[in-house]
Amino acid sequence: MKGNTSSVGIKEAPSGKGSYLKNLFRGIGTLLTGLKVTGREFFTPKVTEQYPENRKELKMFDRFRGTLTMPHDEQGNNRCIACGLCQSVCPNDTIHITTDTVTDPETGKNKRVLVRYEYDLGSCMFCQLCVNTCPHHAIAFDTAFEHAVFDRSKLVLTLNRPAKPAAGNSSADSDSRTEK
Amino acid sequence: MFDFSIVTGWIHNLLTSFLPYGLAVFVECVAIGIGIMIAYALIAIIMIFMERKVCAAFQCRLGPMRVGPQGTVQIFCDVIKMLTKEIVKIREADKFLYNLAPYVVIAASVLAFSCLPVNKGMEVLDFNVGVFFLLAASSIGVVGILLAGWSSNNKYSLIGAMRSGAQMVSYELSTGLSILTIVVLTDTMQLSEIVARQADGWFIFKGHVSAVIAFIIYLIAGNAEVNRGPFDLPEAESELTAGYHTEYSGMHFGLFYVAEFVNLFIISGVATTIFLGGWMPLHIPGWEGFNAVMDFIPGFVWFFGKAFFVVWLLMWIKWTFPRLRIDQILTLEWKYLIPLGLVNLLLMVIIVVFKLHF
Amino acid sequence: MQEILEIPAAEFHQTARKLKEEKGMDFLRSLTGMDWGEEGMGAVYHLESTSTGATMTLRVRTADRLQPELPSVSDIWKGAALNEREAYDYFGILFIGNPDMRRLYLREDWQGHPLRKDYDASDLTNPLRMTNEEAVDTTETLELNPDGTLKVQENILFDDKEYVINIGPQHPATHGVLRFRVSLEGETIKKIDVHCGYIHRGIEKMCESLTYPQTLALTDRLDYLGAMQNRHALCMCIENALGIEVSPRVQYIRTIMDELQRIDSHLLFFSCLCMDMGALTAFFYGFRDREKVLDIFEQTCGGRLILNYNIIGGVQADIHPDFVKRVKDFIAYLRPTLREYHDVFTGNIIAQQRLKGVGVLSREDAISFGATGGTGRASGWACDVRKRHPYAVYDRVDFKEIVYPQGDCFARYMVRMDEIEQSLHIIEQLIDDIPDGPYYEKTKPLIKLPEGTYYAAVEGSRGEFGAFIESRGDKYPYRMKFRSTGLPLVSAIDTIARGAKIADLIAIGGTLDYVVPDIDR
Repeated sequence: MKGNTSSVGIKEAPSGKGSYLKNLFRGIGTLLTGLKVTGREFFTPKVTEQYPENRKELKMFDRFRGTLTMPHDEQGNNRCIACGLCQSVCPNDTIHITTDTVTDPETGKNKRVLVRYEYDLGSCMFCQLCVNTCPHHAIAFDTAFEHAVFDRSKLVLTLNRPAKPAAGNSSADSDSRTEK
Repeated sequence: MFDFSIVTGWIHNLLTSFLPYGLAVFVECVAIGIGIMIAYALIAIIMIFMERKVCAAFQCRLGPMRVGPQGTVQIFCDVIKMLTKEIVKIREADKFLYNLAPYVVIAASVLAFSCLPVNKGMEVLDFNVGVFFLLAASSIGVVGILLAGWSSNNKYSLIGAMRSGAQMVSYELSTGLSILTIVVLTDTMQLSEIVARQADGWFIFKGHVSAVIAFIIYLIAGNAEVNRGPFDLPEAESELTAGYHTEYSGMHFGLFYVAEFVNLFIISGVATTIFLGGWMPLHIPGWEGFNAVMDFIPGFVWFFGKAFFVVWLLMWIKWTFPRLRIDQILTLEWKYLIPLGLVNLLLMVIIVVFKLHF
Repeated sequence: MQEILEIPAAEFHQTARKLKEEKGMDFLRSLTGMDWGEEGMGAVYHLESTSTGATMTLRVRTADRLQPELPSVSDIWKGAALNEREAYDYFGILFIGNPDMRRLYLREDWQGHPLRKDYDASDLTNPLRMTNEEAVDTTETLELNPDGTLKVQENILFDDKEYVINIGPQHPATHGVLRFRVSLEGETIKKIDVHCGYIHRGIEKMCESLTYPQTLALTDRLDYLGAMQNRHALCMCIENALGIEVSPRVQYIRTIMDELQRIDSHLLFFSCLCMDMGALTAFFYGFRDREKVLDIFEQTCGGRLILNYNIIGGVQADIHPDFVKRVKDFIAYLRPTLREYHDVFTGNIIAQQRLKGVGVLSREDAISFGATGGTGRASGWACDVRKRHPYAVYDRVDFKEIVYPQGDCFARYMVRMDEIEQSLHIIEQLIDDIPDGPYYEKTKPLIKLPEGTYYAAVEGSRGEFGAFIESRGDKYPYRMKFRSTGLPLVSAIDTIARGAKIADLIAIGGTLDYVVPDIDR
C-alpha cells in the first residue's frame, strides 16, 4: 500500500542530490512544461458565460430549485386544500397559510379554503420538504433564480392567485411574482 | 529611419527665435515633463488593460467585457474611480512618511521611464553614464516600499516591506551584472549609443550564448525587482493580504499600482533597448527587400512592439508559476543567478577580447 | 448499535490510558458532550484501535450538574483537547487537566452553556453584544488538589513582547472565517492559537428542535464540499435506527454521488491550494472542471452546492436520464485534464520546493489528533472509512486506498490528486450497472427513532464524518452530534506549523484542506 509516485507521469523534481547543473536544467524543464500548458490555453476558446447578455439562451435544469410556486390551471384554480402540512413541515417557518371556512352552498358542508399562501423567499432554504409532503402536488419549484429585490419585504410572495373576482379577496395578490 | 531630433530641433529654433534662451529651455523642460507624465499615464493604462486581458486568456476567461467594446473603456473608468476615492487616514501611522512613500515610488519609476530611448532622437535623459543612472534611479523605488511598509503601522505591511527590501536589493545585483555583460560588449554606457551599435544586428544575436544567458537572467531578475509573480512575495495576497500597500487607499494605492505596471514596462523597455535593438528594425543580412520594408516601419513602433512582446512573456511567466518562498527567492539569486551572471560576464569578456562575437 | 461501557469518572483517566496502551485504542473517533438531565452530565467517547480495528464506546458521567467535572484525556489523545473545549462550551463540563479551558465557539462573555437542557435561550440572557471581544493572551488549566478542590493555573499563550499577527478571520488564505493568532520570529512561526466560532450556527442545538427529516437540510451546510456524504451519514444513521433497508439502486446512486462529491471537493482543493501558492491560472483550470461536476449534480439534484439529495430511505429523485452519459463524458474528460494539472502545478519545481518536506505530520500525531482523511493517509495511516467500515457498495468495488508515508504537504497533495483517479475508477465500475428498483423506500410521515444511541460514519471528502444520535423515542433527537472532519485538522496545525515560515503556513493550511463551516457547525 505504499504509494510512491502517482500513476500519472510526473517528472520527479530535483531533490538536494545530483549535480548543480543537472538540477538547474531539470528545474527549467519542469517550468517549461508548465509554460507549455498555459501557452496552449492562451489560444483555446474561453469558457466565460456572459450572464446578463445570455439570458435568452440560458436555461436552467428542470430540477433546479429556484422559487416555490403554486401552479394554476386556465381557470385560475390551484390544487391547494389548505391542509397546512407544508407550513408545519418547514424548518424555517417560511410558509404562512391563511385559511377561511366557507359553507358549500350545494352540500351545506363546511369546507376550509385557502385565502392567502405566503412564502418568504428570504428565509427559504430550499430543502424541498414542503413539496415532498404536499399530498396534492399543489406546490412546486420553478427555475426562476433572479431573486434580487430592493426591499426585504418584497421577498414575501403570495403564491395563490385570487380564486375568482366574486370571492372578494383580490387584495391578496398585490405582490405576486409568479405570474411573470 | 525617421530622426525625431529634426522635430525637437525645429521646436527649439522656433522657441529661441522669439524667447530669451533661458526661458525657451524652461518652456521646453515643462513641455517635456508634461509629455512624460502623459506618456507614463497612457502606458500604465495600456499595461493594466493588457494584464487583464492576457491573464484572462491564460485562464480561459474573457476579462473585462462590459464597458466599451471588448471592455476597452474599463480602465478609464477605473482611473476615474480611483481618483475620486477617499484617501483613508490611518491612525497611529507615521503621517509624513506614509503620505510620502507612494510619491517616492512613482518618482523613481518616472525617472527610470525617462531614460528609455523610444525612437531615434527621442531620448529624454541621455548621457554618457545612462545605464548607471537608470540602475540608480530605479533602485530608489525600494526606499518608497520600505517607507510604506514601515509607516503604515501594520504588521503585514512591515513583513511585506522587509521581504521586498531583501528581495529587491539582492536582485539588483543580477540586473546590474547582466546589463554589465552588454556594456562589456558595447564599451559604452550611453543608452542611445547602445541602440545605435545594434544597427547591424541586435546584441542578443551579436553576443550569442553569453547575451542570451544575460537576457534570461535579466528577465528573471527584472521580474523579481518589480515584485511580480512568481516573485510577488512583498504583496503575496494569500499570505500578507496586500503586503506593503495593505493600508493604502484611493489614489495613494493607485500610485503603487500604476508604478508596478510601468516598472514592468520599464524592465521590458530596458530589455528591448539593451538586448533587442531598441527602436532598430529587424534586419536579416542579404535580404535587401525585406530590410527595406522593415526600415519603413517607424522606430517607436519597433520599440513598443518589442517591449510589449517582452511584457507578454513576463505575464506568461507570472500567470503560470506558483510563488516562491522568501528563502527560496534568495537561494535562487545568491546560489544560481549571481554565480551564473559572473561566469557569464567572464565569458563575455573572453568573447570580446578574442573578438568571437559577430 | 454497539454496547456502551459505563465508566466511573474517578477511574476514567486510568482506564483510558490502559485502553490505549493495552488494547491499542489509539484513535478517538468522536467525543460528544451530553446532558442526560436527571442522570447528570458527561461525555460519550468513541474509540477505535488502528491496529486491530476494534471499536468501543465509553460513557462517563458526573451527577453534579452545578459544576460538572470530568478528567481530561487530552494527554492521551491529543485530539481531545479541542473536543473537550467544545464540550465545555456547550455543557459547562470542566475537564480537569486540559491545558486550555477556554470556550471554543462562543464568546468568552456568553452566559450559560447552550446545549444544557436547563439553558435559558431567551434574548435577555445573551443579548446581541455590540462590543468587540478582547483577544485574551492567557488561558486557564484546571487541576485537582489532593483534597478535591480545584486549583486554577494560568497559562500564558503569548507574552507582550511577541510579534503576534492575525491570520484571519478575514484573510485570503483561511478559506472562510477561521482565525489563527500566529506568533512570529521574523518569518518563522513560533506558536499558533486557533480561534473558531466565526461561523458557528449552533446546528447541533437547532437539530434538537427539528424533526428528523428537517435536520437533514442542515447537514449540507456543514462541510459544503461534502454535502452528499454528510447527508449520507445522517440518513444512514437514521435508517439503521429505524431498520430500513434501502434498495441496491439507492446504494449505487449514493456511492456514485459520494464519489462525484469527492472529486468536486478535491478539484476545489487543488484549485485553492494553487491559488494560495500564487498560481492563479491553475486555480481557474480546477474551477472550470469542477463546474462540470456541479452541472451533473444540478441536473439530478436541483442544487449545485446545497444538494438536498439523500432522504431517509432513499434519494430525493431518481437519477436524471442524462446522468449516466454525462458522468461518462466527464470521466473521459477529466483523465487527460488531470495530467494537465500535473504538468502545470505538480511537476513544477517551485511547487515541489514549496511542498516537499514542509509541514510534516507524523503517523502517531495524525492518529492521536484523529486527523483522518487525506491528511491521515498522507501520514501513512490507512484510515479510510470506506475500507475500515464499508458502507453502501464500497465493499463490492475495487479501489486502492491511497497512502503516502511522508506526511508532508506534498504527500497530502498527492493523496488527494490520486484519490480523484480512484474515485473515477469507482464510478466507472458502478455507472453501467445501476440496478433497477425503487429510488426510495416509503417511510412513515412522522419519523420517531427508537430509544438508544446511534452512530454512523462515512468517509467524507476530508475525513471521517460521523453522525451521532441519542434518541428518547421522540420525533426530535435528544442530542445530535456531528463528528467534524475539520476540527482535528485545525487542532493539529500548531504541531505541524511550528518552526515553519508564514508562507509554509499557507501551504499547510491549504493541504490540510479544512472547511470552516464544518469546524464551527
